Amino acid sequence: MLLPDHSYVTTDSLKECLRLLGENGDRAMVVAGGTDVIFNMRLKLFNPEVAVSIRKLEELQHVEELDDGGLRIGAGARLTDLEEHATINDRYPAFAESIRAVASTHIRNMATLGGNICLHTRCSYTNNSEEWRKGLKNCYKTDGNICHVIRSSSKCLAINNADTPLALIVLGAVLTLQNADGSREVPVAEFYTDDGMDHTVRQPDELLTYVTIPPVTDRTTFLKLAPRKGMDFSTVAVAARCDGAGTDVSTVSIVLGSISTNPIILDKPARIVSQKGLGDEAIAEALNHVRNELGNLTNLFSRASYKKQMAVVLVRRALIALRES
Amino acid sequence: MAKHMMTLTVNGDTYDLVVSDNQTLLDVIRDTVRLRGTKRGCTTGACGVCCINNAKGEAVLSCITHALDWDGESITTIEGLEANGELDAIQKAFIEFGAVQCGFCTPGVIMSAKAIVNKYPQPTEEQINAGLAGVLCRCTGHVKVKEAIRQDYRIREAGREAAKNATSN
Repeated sequence: MLLPDHSYVTTDSLKECLRLLGENGDRAMVVAGGTDVIFNMRLKLFNPEVAVSIRKLEELQHVEELDDGGLRIGAGARLTDLEEHATINDRYPAFAESIRAVASTHIRNMATLGGNICLHTRCSYTNNSEEWRKGLKNCYKTDGNICHVIRSSSKCLAINNADTPLALIVLGAVLTLQNADGSREVPVAEFYTDDGMDHTVRQPDELLTYVTIPPVTDRTTFLKLAPRKGMDFSTVAVAARCDGAGTDVSTVSIVLGSISTNPIILDKPARIVSQKGLGDEAIAEALNHVRNELGNLTNLFSRASYKKQMAVVLVRRALIALRES
Repeated sequence: MAKHMMTLTVNGDTYDLVVSDNQTLLDVIRDTVRLRGTKRGCTTGACGVCCINNAKGEAVLSCITHALDWDGESITTIEGLEANGELDAIQKAFIEFGAVQCGFCTPGVIMSAKAIVNKYPQPTEEQINAGLAGVLCRCTGHVKVKEAIRQDYRIREAGREAAKNATSN
């Protein structure tokens, strides 16, 4: 089965790639591992006129140790290479865990870190064949003006299922976006928007080139719940970080994923455990506030009530894991 | 659709191919090189029957990658496991343990199994599970497949032993 018509260009030079993206703008789409882009092309959710392949762009595939003890990872690095990388496992175990949580070995052998960070949002209505979708009017994601999941919604509510950004957010990682004219730095925490169609701040002429993680000595953890353990998108995933030792902490951060269009950085629960420590009582109190911060949940892929309950369970497990690490 | 020349080494044979922009690696393996062992399943990366091995011996899915991305690279398909008329140890193990029912997924399962033993000659339960997670068998399940993978090492060693004895005699 051939892919929909488009032209393919490949380049082994970053400069040339940025020129191509600048020239083609909206008409172009970057393909690295292909596991997300080609999947979406099959469903006709992505219809690029030009596919710009960066698979052979070697300068984006390295992991570089920085003088300050941090790491700079090329966005084109394969997930398999990163999950086995000794320094990543050593310095950022939660990040390594979030990489291993992505899909299957087969997919990770192809997929890249940049691809997972830019992973397209998913919806149980639109993520079907074009024929299947014909049964209903076009929704926001397919150039219509309605959301079939929540009729009253004024925007697309598709879910962001990426796992690695959660760990990157708690680690305080920063993304480098480059276009032909220059580059800018965007913290991962500010990379996502709440619009399911246009869910990142990356512009069409920009390429995500590097992920920079600062040195972190705090305790971190990453947990994922999915319908199937071996290979599935998350029902809920959580990344958390704290300083101190045992129940003694002063700063805790908790990020939930696969709940909504952007990762949810929990505010009040994190504040409660930051002030009161990681004792059983403080954790129980913090969990009471998790549901309030999940926003308008949809029934996408699993019931909203189940998702909310599991979010609470995963946050509890994460906080206990932090306490015991 | 624009067409381009590319070079692809499949099972040790190098082909100069004319490939169009919208062909996947699977399209080229099946329709241009005409090796039909690699199967076309979901074509969206969920079922794993299109699994082949890349030059490093890792399992990758040929249905969700542009063929032109593989210009100059070397791949192994199910047809490439047999050497000099003799089946690979992993294939022998699959036969011995009946790790096949309808057979449709078998090329994908065997290439995934091959990738596991390439990386871990004596894989643990966890490594086998992780390596098989991306490939689905809908009739017989993974129990016999896992049994076959566990026996691959023994069969490979027996083969080596036999070859050594044959030369010393």
